Amino acid sequence: MSTAVQQRLLDLWESPKTLYGELSTVDHKKIGKRYIATAMVFLVIGGLEALLMRLQLATPQQNLLSPEMYDQIFTMHGMTMIFWYAQPILSGFAVFLVPLMIGSRDMAFPRLNAFTYWAYLLSGVLLYISPLLGQSPHGGWFAYVPYTNMPYSPGYGMDFYNLALILLTISTTGGAINFIVTILRLRAPGMAISKMPLFLYSTGTISVVSVFAMPALTAANLALELDRRWATHFFDVAHGGNVLLWQQLFWFFGHPWVYIVFLPATGMISMILPTFSRRPIVGYVYVAMATVLTGLVGFGVWVHHMFAVGEGHLGMSFFSAASMTISIFTAVQVFAWIATMWKGRPVLMSPMYFALGFIALLVIGGLNGIVTALIPVDWQLHDTYFVVSHLHYVLVGANMFPVFAAFYYWWPKMTGRMLDERQGKISFWVMFIGLNLTFFPMHLLGILGMPRRIYTYLPQMGLTTLNMIVSIGAFVLALGVLLSFVNFFWSWKHGIIADKNPWRADSLEWSTESPPEPYGSVHLPTVATRHPLWDDHDEEEDPTGERILDQGRLTFTSTWLDADAFALSSMPEDTILPLLLAIGFFVICGALIFQWMWVVLAAILFSLAIGAIWLWPKYESEELA
Amino acid sequence: MTPVSTEIPVHRQHARPPVLALDDRRGTWGMALFIATEATLFVMLLFSYYYTSRGNNRWQVHEAPKLHYSLPMLAVLLTSSGVLYWGEQQVKKHRYGAARGALLTTILLGIGFLVLTFLEYSEHLKTLRPSTDAYGSTFYTLTSLHGAHVVFGLLMLCWVMIVPRWEPARRTPHRPYHNVAMYWHFVDTVWLFLVILLYIVPNIYNIA
Repeated sequence: MSTAVQQRLLDLWESPKTLYGELSTVDHKKIGKRYIATAMVFLVIGGLEALLMRLQLATPQQNLLSPEMYDQIFTMHGMTMIFWYAQPILSGFAVFLVPLMIGSRDMAFPRLNAFTYWAYLLSGVLLYISPLLGQSPHGGWFAYVPYTNMPYSPGYGMDFYNLALILLTISTTGGAINFIVTILRLRAPGMAISKMPLFLYSTGTISVVSVFAMPALTAANLALELDRRWATHFFDVAHGGNVLLWQQLFWFFGHPWVYIVFLPATGMISMILPTFSRRPIVGYVYVAMATVLTGLVGFGVWVHHMFAVGEGHLGMSFFSAASMTISIFTAVQVFAWIATMWKGRPVLMSPMYFALGFIALLVIGGLNGIVTALIPVDWQLHDTYFVVSHLHYVLVGANMFPVFAAFYYWWPKMTGRMLDERQGKISFWVMFIGLNLTFFPMHLLGILGMPRRIYTYLPQMGLTTLNMIVSIGAFVLALGVLLSFVNFFWSWKHGIIADKNPWRADSLEWSTESPPEPYGSVHLPTVATRHPLWDDHDEEEDPTGERILDQGRLTFTSTWLDADAFALSSMPEDTILPLLLAIGFFVICGALIFQWMWVVLAAILFSLAIGAIWLWPKYESEELA
Repeated sequence: MTPVSTEIPVHRQHARPPVLALDDRRGTWGMALFIATEATLFVMLLFSYYYTSRGNNRWQVHEAPKLHYSLPMLAVLLTSSGVLYWGEQQVKKHRYGAARGALLTTILLGIGFLVLTFLEYSEHLKTLRPSTDAYGSTFYTLTSLHGAHVVFGLLMLCWVMIVPRWEPARRTPHRPYHNVAMYWHFVDTVWLFLVILLYIVPNIYNIA
């Protein structure tokens, strides 16, 4: 390959290194890294909030936080971690990885991709305006009415909750649509659906789930906001409303959301674990099917959050059974991973440490989840620290651990430098011990009857020792995370230079440079098997340069099932419009909080104008050479 | 593992640039998914409409909504969908003048729908308000959200009207007429469901 070709591709795809260039880039690699960095900032903020809570709860009758402050902080902790960290971090990895894994040059809608990032960032900014006013949301991350409705929650806290979430929902839905079209339409020639890397199955599944689950949250937020500020009565029992409507809508979204923040993490593990077991994953088809079925059945389990509200017996039995069924699909994946290691030759490096830690924690979090799927036990444990323990084993164990595994695994691809192995392993052990020290005693606290969301407890309740252990564990966990952060920052500049494929992995992202050039591969790859870099094939043979596509910003479009290339997709140029549109949406949502309706109207008109310009045709000479 | 042939199949060999056409369907897929998520939003609000009726018979308190505006509104929207569909066929045949005429007719019918909505609301609000009770809240949230979709659809139709070119192009918009027509048909379908569920069924229920 000639450098002239590379230069031509670079001219086509590289964003200028100016401020304007950075703000208007549509490069998925830059946007993916921004997603990841932003989500990590929210992880740190949410973590600091958790530490404040643990300081308050370390000893009985502590006066560090007032009850109202405690309510605001635990709500912000939950919202930050669940909405602004857990899903966006996975989106970030997916935005960076999916086009590289499918051998495409960008996402299907690069400008939409930039927009969803800016909207995500600005929704987080909107949420964090609320603590500056001293009026954060304070109703827990699931904000049950009637407490969150107007008479009981005056002030702007819950309005920030509604509008920040609506803005985030727009971002998430846009991202999901982008992933679906990208995965189904832009795969490398030959990458039939039966040969896709498993990460694409999990990302694709949760994207479909998002499209159908997010509107329930939007509807709930819309109804609550209308009830609070516009005199409607969705949740007002005195006027024919129903408080359980909130719970139904929220959990119809909420439980699929659990899989949205979990499945891509399993997809990451299905990429990492086979690489370090030095063999293909065992039961590829079953893992893929289990992933899709988890997403599907995930729509039929939401009432298990509501066993304590007094639904009918038949309905509850159905949801109890569905909740136990869904654990079968997770078990399929766990057994596939174990079998892969069993049949392979595991190499214990730091990504593998985190992957193994994840499996252990997932099993614990899965089993104590099944416990709460049993209705009589759930009635005993509902709203206690047992549930807090369960959800943290699942969220920290099955989201944060895979994410750290992904950092240790894909960091060389993102930065061109390896992370330090020894620091990684130390960080893993500190995190693993810290996590269990924090969350295992919470089982016991829950069984002893300690309710969640309380700001303090009395010394004679017998909860003192366990709470102290939990608080110490929280700081150990934070130290473990900090060690990895030190590793990240140190290795960024001083790590060992990584070659294209430091782990000798099988998927296409490892065929690009580390870090990848703006255009990805010079010759767009073709795929013949599930493991394009492990199996010999003619991928690099493109003597006539038919797969360079340097006539413009182009990439292949292929059929969704067999991935036969049948057309070329032309990709848009860099543009500032996505940022402007996100600002327009930010102003709409922000002004709605304070009912500045003229500002809302102006921002709507501005956004419509931006949208019209966004899609306006361009008339430069644009015929293909 | 099963050995897989690494040869490129014959049917793929010739399908290579510069033979390959430009893909103009990505936007259509995006629009289809956007419609799917929007439709789910309406399903969720309809769910709220029924869920808040649980355990109270709202037709003992409320009159069923009258049909003398909602049915003509439905007729207007269905006609507009038909006209727009015809216009789309004209685009395919490159008869852009006829297509533009169909588009203009659709826009006028859409504006007619909004006028009828205004009349319907000004009559209906005398007996039922969003602040009356949960029935009023869900009823007006659903219908006004649909109205907002009609406005948005109309704006998009106007935009297609002034976009100078509808042929497949290298750059966006790909197939603007078709994609916006999809959205318009969706908005019309929503109204079909709303008329049946919010207007007609309560009247049948009251007769029975």
